[in-house]
Amino acid sequence: MLKVERLTLGYGVTPVLEGVALEVAPGEFVSLVGPSGSGKSSLLRAIVGLVTPQTGQIIRGLELEEIGFLFQDDALLPWRTARQNVALGLCIHGVPRKEALEEAEAWLVKLGLSGLSDRFPYQLSGGQRKRVALAQVLALKPRLLLMDEPFASLDAILRTQLTRDLLSWVEGEGVSVLLVTNDLEEALSLSDRIYLLSKGPRAVLRRSYAVPFARPRDPVGVRADPRFGRLLGELWKDLEEVVLCGAA
Amino acid sequence: MRRGLSLLALLLVWEGLALLGLLNPLYVPAPHRVAQVLADLFSEGTLWPHLQATFSAAIFGLVLGLLIGGVLGLLAALVPWVAELLEPVMLLLNAVPRVILAPLLVIWFGIGLASKVALSLILVSVLLFFAVYSGVREVDPRLIERIRTLGGGRWVLLREVYLPSVCSWVLSQLKVAVGFAFTGAVVGEFVAASRGLGYLLSFAQSTFNAALSLALISLIVAFVLFLFTLFERLEQRLLAWKPQASR
Ligand SMILES: Nc1ncnc2c1ncn2[C@@H]1O[C@H](COP(=O)(O)OP(=O)(O)OP(=O)(O)O)[C@@H](O)[C@H]1O
Ligand SMILES: [Mg+2]
Repeated sequence: MLKVERLTLGYGVTPVLEGVALEVAPGEFVSLVGPSGSGKSSLLRAIVGLVTPQTGQIIRGLELEEIGFLFQDDALLPWRTARQNVALGLCIHGVPRKEALEEAEAWLVKLGLSGLSDRFPYQLSGGQRKRVALAQVLALKPRLLLMDEPFASLDAILRTQLTRDLLSWVEGEGVSVLLVTNDLEEALSLSDRIYLLSKGPRAVLRRSYAVPFARPRDPVGVRADPRFGRLLGELWKDLEEVVLCGAA
Repeated sequence: MRRGLSLLALLLVWEGLALLGLLNPLYVPAPHRVAQVLADLFSEGTLWPHLQATFSAAIFGLVLGLLIGGVLGLLAALVPWVAELLEPVMLLLNAVPRVILAPLLVIWFGIGLASKVALSLILVSVLLFFAVYSGVREVDPRLIERIRTLGGGRWVLLREVYLPSVCSWVLSQLKVAVGFAFTGAVVGEFVAASRGLGYLLSFAQSTFNAALSLALISLIVAFVLFLFTLFERLEQRLLAWKPQASR
């Protein structure tokens, strides 16, 4: 589905990422964790072609249009309402305007935003804007979903609900996911595999972890599994090492 | 409402002071005198050709200025060498008080309508140039990335990102542009003309007629205020997506 090989990229002389290789298989849920500034967002941007890598390859087993990209910030078109923002993507993909607006409404309701569809972005909270952006991406039914910290700035209840809904949708549709997150528990409870990036600049892939929990999976129930605690401890220790060693 | 009341209060105090004989009617004529002069101007019919002259100069200047400024701004934003050519000129024109060009324009275009249109055109087009130029260049790059990753091409970008961004810049300058168009027309007439409100103003000055001066000033203020409210309505309708404070 997606294969990244020996990828080196950066904005100046010193590369941000160096020699990164990772893979997302069809239907696989992969998480990417790492210290702030290590180049996680840059990697996602390179995958959809917004940044040109210095060396290395990105092999996409699908069309660009089949990739859904949820950005880390929640910039929506300020002159369009929530509903129009969501419908825009659908219209670009050839859905007639009226149907697009109806479908957009349905997605907003699904993400807990009913009654807010006629608001402009400035009238929404950060978490609400984030969900509008998520609706915009999900409505296009991507086959590969790239998400950059989608659940930051949501309250615990909403976050649990949303991850549960998202996971069952992803499992049902067989969507592949590459998720960037700073929440180790979230990464563990959702993914099949986790990649850990080292501290930048010149960040490399430090380790990859196979997550053994079966699918379909309940992201809350899985936390009771004894292996969950063990893996979490391991991840935590490695991340700490990465962050501290960079600082030394 | 409040503003209306305070204006009324000011007029009453003014009228009262004049009644008490505290104001020299030669310098500061009472409001009712000014109103009388205004009414006479209208009823005698002498005002119409002057109004027509000023209005045509201002409207032509406004429309042409919007057009020329808009096109130049767009060109500069899209074609780098046009920007290099135009930006210094525009910055210079923006920095100096542009009305100093009035005498020169009279020499070039004569004392007729053309020199007034030219002055208001220059005033308006410099304003519009910068509105459009910055509107295009200061488009939020994140929005462009969003549209791209949603699969949108150039046409979608133009319609959904560039156009609204430029419109919001232009709309916020439109009121100022109307004011500028009238300034250009009136100042142009003031310098040299045979018709127009500016010409009447200079006539009032040379005949030491303060009542006529004040009558003309209030007339111009009334017109510009009327246009201002009109454009403010338009702005409020079209810019509903902006937070109140930043409008
Ligand atoms: N457009 C840019 N120009 C120059 N440098 C950039 C640019 N974008 C990011 N960087 C730099 O690249 C590095 C990686 O940034 P990136 O946004 O990919 O980090 P991140 O891992 O997503 O961090 P976070 O977890 O804080 O979001 C940072 O040091 C950042 O300063
Ligand atoms: Mg990031």
